[in-house]
Amino acid sequence: MNSMEQQFLEAGTLMLAGMVFVFVFLSLLIIFINTVLAKLSIKFPDPITLNTARSNKKNNKAANGEISPAIVAVISGAVSRYRKQHASSPQKSTK
Amino acid sequence: MDSLNKLWLSTGLANFELGQVIMMLVGCGLLYLAIARNFEPLLLLPMGFGAILTNIPISGLSEIGGLLHYIYYAGIDTGIFPLLIFMGVGAMTDFGALIANPKTLLLGAAAQFGIFATLFGAIALNMVPGIEFSLKDAAAISIIGGADGPTAIFVASRLAPELLGAIAVAAYSYMAMVPIIQPPIMRALTTVEERKIEMAQLRPVTKIEKIIFPLGVLMMAIFFLPAATPLVGMFCLGNLMRESGVVDRLSSTVQNELINIVTILLGLGVGSKLSAEAFLNVQTLGILALGAVAFSIGTASGVLMAKVMNKFSKIPINPLIGAAGVSAVPMAARVANKVGLEANPHNFLLMHAMGPNVAGVLGSAVAAGILLALVG
Repeated sequence: MNSMEQQFLEAGTLMLAGMVFVFVFLSLLIIFINTVLAKLSIKFPDPITLNTARSNKKNNKAANGEISPAIVAVISGAVSRYRKQHASSPQKSTK
Repeated sequence: MDSLNKLWLSTGLANFELGQVIMMLVGCGLLYLAIARNFEPLLLLPMGFGAILTNIPISGLSEIGGLLHYIYYAGIDTGIFPLLIFMGVGAMTDFGALIANPKTLLLGAAAQFGIFATLFGAIALNMVPGIEFSLKDAAAISIIGGADGPTAIFVASRLAPELLGAIAVAAYSYMAMVPIIQPPIMRALTTVEERKIEMAQLRPVTKIEKIIFPLGVLMMAIFFLPAATPLVGMFCLGNLMRESGVVDRLSSTVQNELINIVTILLGLGVGSKLSAEAFLNVQTLGILALGAVAFSIGTASGVLMAKVMNKFSKIPINPLIGAAGVSAVPMAARVANKVGLEANPHNFLLMHAMGPNVAGVLGSAVAAGILLALVG
């Protein structure tokens, strides 16, 4: 029974020490984030504008390259058909 | 006639023992959970199969000279497999949500109460006849409450290798059951109003912060808890590979091919520990019961901590995200998100819950380090 009590005492100490240590460790990490990392993020911000400009350029290039031959043809075809259909419409005549 | 007799004696049928049959059925049970119920299949499938293989009579697969024996001693006894997996987990982890809202680290810390309370419970179970857990055993069992497979296997392999099979089975099955275990506890401890709380959007996190963070964590582990550096070190290495952006090939290997290969071997190695004499006893029942208790207490203490923080914080904190403090990434965060959506269909807590979720991974690694330092 004595050893049982002793084991409980050990487990209790371990529980207390463990929880205190986990909290202290992670609290120090909070301080680390709030001081060191926060300062770093202000001093070295991400080059956001540069990135987006680059990616936009890329997108435009890609988009232009893909659209011009096929889709432009389709769009111009649709426009000409639209014009033909509406050529005889009253709106056109009033104009 | 003599050779016929010899042939008969070399068959499995002649050599089966009841324990082996039961353990093969346990292996089939794990296969069922993996295949039919989708419970952590990546690990439970090789583990279940390993359990079947190791219990084949006279094949000696997990005796000296057998495949499973070498897999176990090369990878698990040495602690290499769980640490490699932890490196992969580090490479998959995005600390952005945590860096944006560092207070959530306290939730990850609170949820570790599940571990230390279970330690007490394991010692208390010694009062049940037939169960005898030493302090080392109790520490190894309690780490199930960390809800982190590799950490549990690593600590168990250091402190109580003979209980490893049962501990791994309990850890992985309860991790799969997080969506069943957690919601009732979360609902019982919070009011509908609290569950409806919407949280402020997180600030963007810069690249330099994400790069320095793992180095800072490692530095703190070096200073204050070297016993945790195997786990924390591998984790931070994986995370640095991810965030540095210069070794995408390594990062991708670590979080895909390497972790897959090691998972197969880890599953087989753990399965080889599921032998009848090690598993079929009252202690296993005790371990399974303690695992459920550990998860529940961890969830409850995370939620309660979040409630307290919500009372004192200027920025509202939804108590549900506290439940994600038991690691189980990303399942626990998803559960917090789901329970939040039930109360308020416009409330998306997932990103907010990822903070305490990854804090839980760090918290359980720290707790593991403490157990190894004080008990090991």
